[in-house]
Amino acid sequence: MESFRQAFELLFPPDRELLQIIGVTMRMSFVSTLVSCLIGLPLGALIGSKNFRGKSFLKKLIHTLMGLPPVVAGLIVYSLFTHYGPFGRLDMLFTVEIMSVAQVLLITPVVTGLSSSFIETSSKPVIETARGLGFSGFRTARLCINEGRASLLSVVLNAFGRSIAEVGAVSIVGGNIQWKTRVMTTAIMLETNKGKFSFALALGIILLMIAFAVNALASFIVRENADG
Amino acid sequence: MVEIKGLKKRYGERTVLDLDELSFSDGETVALAGANGSGKTTLLRILAGLIEKSEGTAKAPGSVLYLPQQSYAFRGDLVRNITITGAGKQTAVELLEKLGLSHLSGKKAKSLSGGELQRLSLCRVLAKKSELLLLDEPTSACDANGAALVIRAIRDYRDSCGCTVVMSTHSPMLAVNAADRLVVLENGKVEANGTPEDILSNPGIQWAKTFTAGWKI
Repeated sequence: MESFRQAFELLFPPDRELLQIIGVTMRMSFVSTLVSCLIGLPLGALIGSKNFRGKSFLKKLIHTLMGLPPVVAGLIVYSLFTHYGPFGRLDMLFTVEIMSVAQVLLITPVVTGLSSSFIETSSKPVIETARGLGFSGFRTARLCINEGRASLLSVVLNAFGRSIAEVGAVSIVGGNIQWKTRVMTTAIMLETNKGKFSFALALGIILLMIAFAVNALASFIVRENADG
Repeated sequence: MVEIKGLKKRYGERTVLDLDELSFSDGETVALAGANGSGKTTLLRILAGLIEKSEGTAKAPGSVLYLPQQSYAFRGDLVRNITITGAGKQTAVELLEKLGLSHLSGKKAKSLSGGELQRLSLCRVLAKKSELLLLDEPTSACDANGAALVIRAIRDYRDSCGCTVVMSTHSPMLAVNAADRLVVLENGKVEANGTPEDILSNPGIQWAKTFTAGWKI
């Protein structure tokens, strides 16, 4: 109950630092989900709707990357963007942008893998119909995405959920810097390490509320646009 | 012109299609008949380029259209389901009229019955021009009236573009009324090849016997 009271006190009136942390969290999660979906959905649709040599190997590779540990993803991005790394000149370490890059590395395989499995199993009649009409592979993939958009929303939400709840990679590349790169999860970790368990739990409750609001909004948008 | 020579399709050890020689002329309508698993759909899917053959050759024209056995309704109304092929709205309206669906044109395609959906799927295919039209059981979900509309539409399409039509069917009505030639397949091989009238009146052909001898359970 103490945690719920603290969560309420943080939100009403809103705490300035909390708002800043929520802002960074949302920015990072939305950008990384958007980029991952822009790459992963068409790729997943193509893999799911086309037969080609090496498809089985590619699927295995994607499924392996779906289980990529966040700290490993964080380390890969860190080593690429560190001062002596190949992209060191970009000076992006410990920024929100680099946190999004790490998230894209983590989430894109999830979006690609889940959407290709969905397309492969549920979109067979769409693929058969489209190919029968002589549509190109790209057009067939686009049709599959459009026809299965309600189901693909769960893929997008899964990606967003993974992004907003991730802590390992963002703390390595972002550094959990106050007023700069601190997000909800790294803030929860910090408060837990300080022994402020009920405050950390209050942040967790707020994080869950945000995730619920995003899910509800996305479901509403899809329902409104569903034209059967 | 479609030319098939030594065409085989295997799934593991099982050979589902084994055709020595078979050809379909330009402008000809051919019905493929036979029991379930006799290789009708496999042959159509190979000609449509949807599956790879295991052996032999199957020469087909460049532009091929294929209507799958399982009909699918895209999102949106009936007109959109046809214009998605690139056809104009006027063509869509005319096709819906021809297939007896014009009274449903503004409705969601997903709300159609099985027979209506099958006719809509045919409209979608007929909205495009092709040299080879492949139809997998185009009347399987239709009632007698719907089947008659389908037969007329297929005939008109063939007459207007002069294309070759190959369709699989279990319906003697479709074979007799729409096809110039009937090819009966059994276990992936050609059992009979001739006019529908000759084959249906031949009691030596198992598939024909089913219809001439009547049902006995």
